[in-house]
Amino acid sequence: MLVSTGQLADAPMTRRIGARMHLAMCRHCRAFRRQIEALVRAAQAAGLAFEREPASDFEERILSCLR
Amino acid sequence: MMSGVSDLDRPSVARLRERDPDTLRAIVDQHGRRLYRAARGMGFSIEEAEDLTQEVFVTFVASIDRFEGRAQVGTWLFGILHHKAQERRRGRAREELSDPIDTVFESQFDAEGAWIRPPVAPDERVAAQEAGEAIRDCLDGLPSPQREVFQLREVEGLPAVEVSKILARTVTHIGVLFHRARARLRECLERKGWGRKP
Repeated sequence: MLVSTGQLADAPMTRRIGARMHLAMCRHCRAFRRQIEALVRAAQAAGLAFEREPASDFEERILSCLR
Repeated sequence: MMSGVSDLDRPSVARLRERDPDTLRAIVDQHGRRLYRAARGMGFSIEEAEDLTQEVFVTFVASIDRFEGRAQVGTWLFGILHHKAQERRRGRAREELSDPIDTVFESQFDAEGAWIRPPVAPDERVAAQEAGEAIRDCLDGLPSPQREVFQLREVEGLPAVEVSKILARTVTHIGVLFHRARARLRECLERKGWGRKP
């Protein structure tokens, strides 16, 4: 659950150690973590594609609205 | 990555309040495409995302006198984007307090907490290719609050505390929405046969 909620890094040290020990022993949870990592990489790649969509004058058009 | 401390010094905040063109340009250059990307990631069309990004900056400039420089400019801008996105979505289904994805997730464990239907570690190469094709469909299937949290946490790389400020929700609630988003995406990608070796 700590992996799924993204709270592992912020958890108290004892829970972090406990979670890491469990991950070291449980191949299903390691597989789960790898699935999450893979879907995050895919979402980040989709985000990069979005960023390239606007034309080169995108920022200029925003600035013209602010003048 | 944003933290709780402002990224602008006092002179910059003063120049911003005077609508100094160079300071505004620097902020548009730094945050314009990020905001656009986030709006697209939240499910808005190309045209809507461009409009939203412009509206965010217009609102930012109009409310600049209230910006005291205590928060990050990015947090302020993403907060405006969140409100604008909510306005556009008004009338759409509200977020349910309970979510069927919780039951789906929990059904994967037995009474002792062991996996009943263990996940299969994705083949990295196949997973990258297939998830790349499927992720947009799956993102479209997420309820708006989950999609917004997923976008801000995973794509924009913002910490939970920052996202909780932007969306005006507790860190715990952000964690719940984040977990549901990931669970729903994972289920969706698995249904599409993602990552399985041929």
